[in-house]
Amino acid sequence: MEKKGKKFMLLAAAASLTMAVAGCGGANNNNGAASSSSSAPAGTAASTASGSAPASAAGGEKTEILLGYYSDEKSDSKMKELIGQFTAAHPNISVKTQSAPYGQFYQKLDTQIAAGTAPDVWLSDGVYVMKYAERGAVRDLTDWIAKDLKADDYYGLEYNKDADGKYWGVPQGIQVGVLFYNKDLFDKAKVSYPTDDWTWEDLKKTAARLTVDAKGKTAEESGFDKNNVNQFGLTFFSITEGWFSVLKSYGGGVLDETGTKSIIDSEPNKKAFEWMVDGMSRGIITDPVDLKSFQSNTAVFPSGSAAMRIGLYARVLAANEAGLNYDVTLLPKGPDGKRSAPVIANSWVVNAKSSDVKAQAAWEWVKYWATQDDVQKQWAELGEAIPVKKSIAESDVFLKGGDKPANRQAFLDSLSFAQTLDVNAVWEEWVGKFNENAQRAFLGDQSIDEALKSANTDVQKVLDDFYKKK
Amino acid sequence: MEQTIERTGRAENGVRPVPKRRRDSSESRWGLIMVSPYLIHFVVFVAGPLAASLYFGFSDYDMLNPPKWTGLDNFARMGSDPLFWKALRNTLLFTVLFVPLQTLLALLLAVALNQKLRGLKWFRMAHFIPVISSWTVILYVADAIFNPRFGAANALLTRLGLDAQRWLQDEKLAIPLLVVIAVWKGIGYIMVIYLAGLQSVPGDLYEAAEIDGAGAYRKFRSITLPMISPTTFLVVVMSTITTFQAFEQIYVLTGRGDMSQAGGPNNSTMVLMLDLYREGFTYLRMGYASAIAWVLFMILFALTMLQLRVQKKWVHYE
Repeated sequence: MEKKGKKFMLLAAAASLTMAVAGCGGANNNNGAASSSSSAPAGTAASTASGSAPASAAGGEKTEILLGYYSDEKSDSKMKELIGQFTAAHPNISVKTQSAPYGQFYQKLDTQIAAGTAPDVWLSDGVYVMKYAERGAVRDLTDWIAKDLKADDYYGLEYNKDADGKYWGVPQGIQVGVLFYNKDLFDKAKVSYPTDDWTWEDLKKTAARLTVDAKGKTAEESGFDKNNVNQFGLTFFSITEGWFSVLKSYGGGVLDETGTKSIIDSEPNKKAFEWMVDGMSRGIITDPVDLKSFQSNTAVFPSGSAAMRIGLYARVLAANEAGLNYDVTLLPKGPDGKRSAPVIANSWVVNAKSSDVKAQAAWEWVKYWATQDDVQKQWAELGEAIPVKKSIAESDVFLKGGDKPANRQAFLDSLSFAQTLDVNAVWEEWVGKFNENAQRAFLGDQSIDEALKSANTDVQKVLDDFYKKK
Repeated sequence: MEQTIERTGRAENGVRPVPKRRRDSSESRWGLIMVSPYLIHFVVFVAGPLAASLYFGFSDYDMLNPPKWTGLDNFARMGSDPLFWKALRNTLLFTVLFVPLQTLLALLLAVALNQKLRGLKWFRMAHFIPVISSWTVILYVADAIFNPRFGAANALLTRLGLDAQRWLQDEKLAIPLLVVIAVWKGIGYIMVIYLAGLQSVPGDLYEAAEIDGAGAYRKFRSITLPMISPTTFLVVVMSTITTFQAFEQIYVLTGRGDMSQAGGPNNSTMVLMLDLYREGFTYLRMGYASAIAWVLFMILFALTMLQLRVQKKWVHYE
């Protein structure tokens, strides 16, 4: 080989090698600085020093934290604004953000925790807090909450409390379920609007008059074709915006207070199921097959294909965007007058593997979010969630936040009888198993007794699988 | 080149074959340098993860905490996990329905389009469009036809006085329907592979057969089929492997982006890859998921070995 040729080959080999390595490393550039510092073992002086190495400002040490959250476009820019306000108020803390749409955020989060590059603080869907807490991935915030936050000033701190009294997150926004109703459809059928006195039976009676088939007949008229329903009385699906509040207000439920034992096979649950199955078999309530015909489970009400729905506060956005004329009221009572509403507190959680210094800095952010009136106001104005600070939620910023729905007080009133969704470390799995069995009952493929029995066995198996190990 | 050098080395006794060694080691050094990017990629992205995955298969690993060795626990769990066996059965059913159907139809299509008629290239292109479409697009097409409430299929059935079907929501119809959609989507690609194979069949074989009085069917059976049997073998082996690992199509068509809905009504469309993904990423049982992945590999390995063994009986190489 000529000398020139050799040199060229060497350069080419070096170039391709570099490109290959850079290609792998490139994807991590966002987290480059943070990963090198947060992957160090927690609590040692060495790691603290290496963590603050990047920027030692005059005098105090600057801590950099990685903040992760899921969002859509609108809330992403608002969140970044608020983070900017925070860093302006706390010059010794710098924040690197990591945001993504909901699905991608969680896909990435688990692998990041495995690699030790997860954010120091992240926004967790309320139903996932225990998933991470019971597996030791997030920090116990009990002491810090007791020291820095007055519990009575905020909604939802107790939603992140486990059976041992430990607190694992601080709410970022509250989602509670109420009854949405489409006023135009009610007016068209000349039916009076729902009231606070309604029971589930009252709801079904009214829903029958609001269920219309392709030929215009309602579910109460003879000749009604339940296989050709154009407009449903009530749309209803899965746990949160479906069976959970029905079961609870009938006096039933899924898990006991410890979250480790199934109480599914019970008489109250049977009565609740009879209410649901009757509604679905008559075509008044959407059954799982009906739901599959729509673009998504949540699209049924905004599209005007259902007169009522059980909905979280976040559904207000879609209904407003669709231009619906609607309002909200409390969810109906059970036969004994019991009330229940589903509540989810999406919360800030702190990475258990972060060093103490970073965790402290992360806590400053969490505190800032909850305590600062201005932050709470700005987030409330977005209209995505109920603010966690009671004084802001009870003010006009939230209550008069938009002209629709008018009865926003219903959301706050519902919080007095709201219950979390029996969240525990294996929530997603047992909900899946319950839905599998419930679906068979809803579609008439299995009797209610059998479905409840097998749901009980399946759910208990999931619980034992995780809890018997510990 | 090596041989030339060796002969030279042997011929000259007593003389150290210095040129041979130097050229050899310099060549092999250069060879190593050139291959090193690929080798590094292989170790980092293939061999390393494979070894890790094998280790996870024998551990309890929830991704949030380091893996804990548990020996054969995951495999024992698999043996008594009804969902795993259902997934295996569904996967086998899907594969057994899909592979022969697509292979046969693609072959017939290729034979039909292998003529020198004008405008046939538009037909070939039309068949290729579903191949390059994403499954999300296919979902909308399938929905237009098979949506239980708004789809054309049920509209037609009710017009004819027949019962509307639940289609993808029907436990018995779901997998056959998925097979039909998948065949329609992928047939263009296999057809193109067969077209290439058909073009390599020497024309004089057909001429000779015609002289002997062979008809179209005889020519197909005795010339075309054997001559393209290597292509058929390739298609069958590849289709089996990819179909066994089907994930995206099932996830999109039955789940529409929601993992908790995927797997169809009552797990009737739950296939192995879907089960694996859910166990590992949703339920955080990554150790168990890794064990399932290795069992899947073993099954495919055995199947491929079987197909290689059987090929002597029907594949005709020139």
